[in-house]
Amino acid sequence: MGEQKANETFTEKAERLKFSKDELLDMYKTMCVIRQFELMADKLYALGKVHGTMHLSAGQEAVAVGLSHATRVDDYLINHHRGHGHFISKKADINLMMCEFLGKEAGYCKGRGGSMHIADFSSNNLGANGIVGGGIPHSLGVGLAIQMKNLDQICITIFGDGASNEGVFHETLNMAALWKLPILFICENNKYGMSMDIERVSAKLPIAQRAESYGIPWYYIDGNDLLAVYEHAHDAAQKIRSGSGPVFIETQTYRYFGHSKSDRNLYRSKEEIDTWRTTKDPILRFGNHLIENGLMKAQDTELYEQEALRIIEAAVAFAEVSPDPDPSTVAEYVYA
Amino acid sequence: MPEITYVEAIRSALREEMRRDERVFIIGEDIGRYGGAFGVTTGMLDEFGDKRIIETPISEPSIIGAAVGAAVVGMRPIAEIMFMDFTLLTLDQIGNQAAKMHYMFGGKATVPMVIRMPGGSGTGAAAQHSQSLETLLMHLPGLKVVTPSTPYDAKGLLLTAIRDLNPVCFIEHKLLYKTKGEVPEGEYTIPFGVADIKRDGTDLTIVSNGIMVRKALAVAERLAQEGINVEIIDPRTLVPLDSETIINSVIKTGKLLVIHEACETAGWAGEIMAVISSSRAFDYLDAPMRRLTGKNVPIPYNRVLERAAVPQEEDIEREIRAIVKGAY
Amino acid sequence: MPVPVIMPKVDMDQEKATIISWEKNEGDEVQYDETILTVETEKVAIDVTAPAAGTLVGILYKAGDVVPVATEIAYILKPGETLPNTPTVQTQASTTTQDPASVATKSPTPSAVQASPLALRVAEELHIPIQDVPTKHQKISKEDVEVYAASLKSPEQNSIVSTDKIAATPAARRISREIGIPLSSVSGTGPSDRIQAGDVLRVEKPSPAPSIDRQAEIVPLVGMRAKIANKMQASFQDAPHIAETIEVDVSRLESLKARLNDVAASNGKGKVSLTAIIVKLVAWALERHPYINTSLIDENIYLWNEVNIGVATALENGLIVPVVHGANRLSFTETAEKINDLSQRARQGRLELTEVQRGTFTISNLGMYGINQFRAIINPPEDAILAVGTVTRKPIVIDDKDTIAVRPMMSLTLSADHRVIDGVVAAKFLSDLASVIEHPELLLE
Repeated sequence: MGEQKANETFTEKAERLKFSKDELLDMYKTMCVIRQFELMADKLYALGKVHGTMHLSAGQEAVAVGLSHATRVDDYLINHHRGHGHFISKKADINLMMCEFLGKEAGYCKGRGGSMHIADFSSNNLGANGIVGGGIPHSLGVGLAIQMKNLDQICITIFGDGASNEGVFHETLNMAALWKLPILFICENNKYGMSMDIERVSAKLPIAQRAESYGIPWYYIDGNDLLAVYEHAHDAAQKIRSGSGPVFIETQTYRYFGHSKSDRNLYRSKEEIDTWRTTKDPILRFGNHLIENGLMKAQDTELYEQEALRIIEAAVAFAEVSPDPDPSTVAEYVYA
Repeated sequence: MPEITYVEAIRSALREEMRRDERVFIIGEDIGRYGGAFGVTTGMLDEFGDKRIIETPISEPSIIGAAVGAAVVGMRPIAEIMFMDFTLLTLDQIGNQAAKMHYMFGGKATVPMVIRMPGGSGTGAAAQHSQSLETLLMHLPGLKVVTPSTPYDAKGLLLTAIRDLNPVCFIEHKLLYKTKGEVPEGEYTIPFGVADIKRDGTDLTIVSNGIMVRKALAVAERLAQEGINVEIIDPRTLVPLDSETIINSVIKTGKLLVIHEACETAGWAGEIMAVISSSRAFDYLDAPMRRLTGKNVPIPYNRVLERAAVPQEEDIEREIRAIVKGAY
Repeated sequence: MPVPVIMPKVDMDQEKATIISWEKNEGDEVQYDETILTVETEKVAIDVTAPAAGTLVGILYKAGDVVPVATEIAYILKPGETLPNTPTVQTQASTTTQDPASVATKSPTPSAVQASPLALRVAEELHIPIQDVPTKHQKISKEDVEVYAASLKSPEQNSIVSTDKIAATPAARRISREIGIPLSSVSGTGPSDRIQAGDVLRVEKPSPAPSIDRQAEIVPLVGMRAKIANKMQASFQDAPHIAETIEVDVSRLESLKARLNDVAASNGKGKVSLTAIIVKLVAWALERHPYINTSLIDENIYLWNEVNIGVATALENGLIVPVVHGANRLSFTETAEKINDLSQRARQGRLELTEVQRGTFTISNLGMYGINQFRAIINPPEDAILAVGTVTRKPIVIDDKDTIAVRPMMSLTLSADHRVIDGVVAAKFLSDLASVIEHPELLLE
C-alpha cells in the first residue's frame, strides 16, 4: 500500500522484475510508436484529414506500456476516450487503427466508431468509451462473467481523473469490492478533466484513497515511471487473479495536448507544459535510464523515433488509400 | 391447457431458460429472498443460488452497466429494474452503451441482454413509480422494445428476448401481473415483429398494448352485441414493429384508433399514425385517424385522478362509438 | 322610410331569377307601378315595377346577375327623404388616425368610396368605419360590411379557411378515381359535409363510364333543358301512352287556308297557318269529346270547361308551349293572330306567365320538317297530345270503285294517357277530327 520503493536503481529494479534488454528496448520502442501516432494524429488533423475530434495521450505512454506488459494479452481491457496508447501497447494493428481513425471501412470498427470508440473484441479489447466513466460499470459484468466461467483473466478498467467523480465510479467500486470481482482499476490522473484541474473538482485527494472507503487496496504512483507502473500493475494483477478482489492504482501523469482538438489550453500555463515535457517526460526518463545503464546509445533515440515514425507513416499511407464505407450500408449493424 | 398468471408465465420463462442455458443470470435489487418487488423471482434463489440470482445495492446505472459488460463477454444477463421510471436513471447505460455498442464497434460487439421493467399506473404509486416510457426506448436504435399483454405472450416473448443477440427492453404492466391466461406447457417462443390480432373485426382497427388491450377487448365484447365489430391488434413488440398487419387491417376497416396508456405528446400512437398515413393504407382511410392516450400529466396519487389520467373502458367505449358513428 | 325593391317570386317552384335589364337607373324618379327592371325565370320574362313613387337608389345588382327571390335589389326614397348616411363617403388622407387593426383592410383607393344606403346603415350599427370595408365591386354592399365585420372577430372564428377544395376522405378519393365519378358531383354526408367512401358509392355511375380520350362538348343539364328533361321523363313514366294514327285528306283544308289567307291579306292581317286552322278544328273536336280535354290530378279526372290549346314552339335551345285560351270560341282569324303573336314573342322570350299556363291539350307540328308521322309525349297535366305530320301528295283510292287520285295527305297521331282515355275514346275523337278536316263545313253544325 501507499508509495513505491524509493532506493532501488533502475538496473536493480529491471533485474528484479526480470526484464531482458530486448524487452526493455521493446518497451521503449512501443512508447515511441505511441508518441509518433499521437503526433501524427495531430498533424493529420491540422491538415484537415480527420473528421470530428481526437483525444491525444502524448505524455502518458508509460502508463500504457507498463500496464500492458504487466498484464496478460487475454486480459479484458475497458478503455476510455484517450486510449490510443493502450490500444497500441496491447499490440493492435497500427494500420487498422489508423483506418478507423480516418473512418475507413477497413478500420477496427468499420469506420463507424472513430477515434473515441476503437475496439478489438477478438483480443478482449472491449473498446474505448466516449462517455466519461461510461465503461466503468461494464467491468462489473465482465468480472461476474469471469467468476461464473471460472476464468483466470482479469478485467483492466482504465479511466481518467475526471471519471472518478461520476456516480457509476462509486457504484462500481462498491459492488466490485462487495463481490470481490477480479478488476484492476487504473485511474490515469493527468491532472485535468477537460479544463478543470483535478484539485478544483475533488474534495479530497488523492483519488485512489476513495478506494479505501470501499475496502479496496489502493496505490498512488508516478505514472511516468514505466517500471513503477509495471511493478504495481504486475503485483496487483497477481493479487486479483488469486481471487482477493479488486485493486485500485492511480497513476500521476500528464498530457501535452489539450483535452481535444478544440482545447486552446487556456487553463494551464506554457511553463507547466514545458516543465513536464522537459523534466518528467516518460520516454525521456526511460530513455535516459537505458542510456545511463549502457542498454542504449544516446544516438539510438533518434533511430527509434524515426523507426516509429516510419511505422506510423506506413499506416497513414495504408489508411489513406483504404476505401470509405459504402453509404448504402449506413443502416447495417444496428441489430445483431 | 393450464391457466397461469402473468407473473407465473414470466417466472417459468426465466426458470426454464436458466435451466437450459447456464449463461443466463438475473441481476437486480431484492430479487433473492424477497423474490423481487412484484414477486417475479420468488423461489428462484433456492433453485439457482446467489451466483445466478445476483442481488445488488441500489445502483441502477451500474446494474445495467454490469449487464452490458457481462453480455459483451458472452453471458446472457437479465437485469431487473424495479420500476420503469428508474430507467431514466440508467439512460446512459441503456442508450449510450447497450444500444450503441454493436453499431459503433462495427458489428464486432454484441450485447445480448434483457432489461425487465414493470411499468404503468393504477396502483397508487404516483408520479415517479407509474410511468409508461416505451416511447423513449423506441427512439434508440439498437434497442428492442417488447410489451406483452397476456401470460401467453409474456412467456413466449421473454424466451425470444433472452435468446436475442440485442439489448431488449421487456416492459411488464403492473396491473397485468395477476391476470390469468392459458399458457401451454413445454417450450415455445413468439417471434419479435409479429403482431397478434386479438380480435377480428370490420368496423374499426384498434392498435393497443399492455393493459389497454384487455380494456379494449372488454369493451369490444359489449359493443359486438350492438353490431359494432372492432378489430383489435396487439403489436406485442413496438420495436421491431409489425406494420404490415396494421396496414392490412386499416385497409379492411378504413378507420384507425390507437390506444395507449403512455401520455399523448410524442406517444407511440403518433408513430403508428405516421406509418399508416405513409403506407398504401392511406387510400383506404375513410375517417381521420384517432388516438386515445394517457393525458399529458404525471400520474396523480388520488385514486379518482389516477383513473382520470389514463384511458378507461368508458373512454374507450365512447371513442369507438363516436368513430363508428362518423363523428370525426 | 326607404322602400325596398324586392326580387319577386312568380312561379310556384321558382327560387331565383336573372336580371335582364334595368329600365331605370340610379337616381331616377319613378312612378308607382312603373317598370324599373326586367327579370327572367326559367319560363318567362317579368317586368318588376316600383312599389312606391320616389327616387330609385341603392341598386345592388346588375344585368346578368342571378338573384334569389325575396332579395332586396334596390330602394325607393320618397321626395325629401334621405337615407341615414349619404350614398358617397369621402375617405380622409392617411394622416388621420385610423384603427390600426383596420389599416390593412382599407379600401385601396383613397378617393370617394361608394356604399349602398343599406351598407351604410349596417356599418353604422356595427360601429365600423365604412371606408375600412373592402369590396370587389364599385359599391360597398351590405354583404361586404358583414363579411368584414366577421373578419374582425377572434382568430378561432376566423380560422375556417375558405377554399375551393373539396373535403373528402382518402378512401372517397380513391373510389372516385377508380370508378370515375368526380368529387364535385358527390354530396358528402360526413362531418362538415365531408365526402366519405359511401357517398361516392351511392352516386349512380354514369353509363358508359367516360373515357378520357373521347372528345365532346359538355353541356350541363340545367335551366330550361333540365326542366324539359324532368317534365318529359315524368310524363313518360307516369302516363301509359297509347298512340293512334289517322291519315287525312287535306285538300279541303288547303283550299280553306288559301281562302282565309286571301281575306287576311286584303285586311292587312298576318298569315293564317295550317297550324292555326288545325287548332280551331281540334278545338271543335275537343268540345265534342270532353274526355280528351282532361287532366288527371290526384286521383281525380278534371274534364275542363275551357278548351285551351297549346302550340308546341321550338326555341333555339329548347321548346315552349304558348297556349291559345278558349280556342273553341275564336274565329280562324283570331286563332291565327293569336298564334302568330304568341310564337313571335315566344322566340323573343317575352311571353307572359299566364300565356304558358292552363293548357288542356297540345298540338305539335313537325310538318315543316318533312316528318311524315311521329309520336309526341303528352304535356302534363294534360292527358293527350296531337302530333301533326307533313302534307304529302300521294295516290289514294277515293271512291268505292277503286278510283285512284292524287291527294294531299297528312298524318295525325294522337298520344293519350290510357289511365283516362281508352283506345276507342281516342279513336272516336280522331275520327271526328278527321271528318271535320276533310269536311270543314261540319263546323257550321
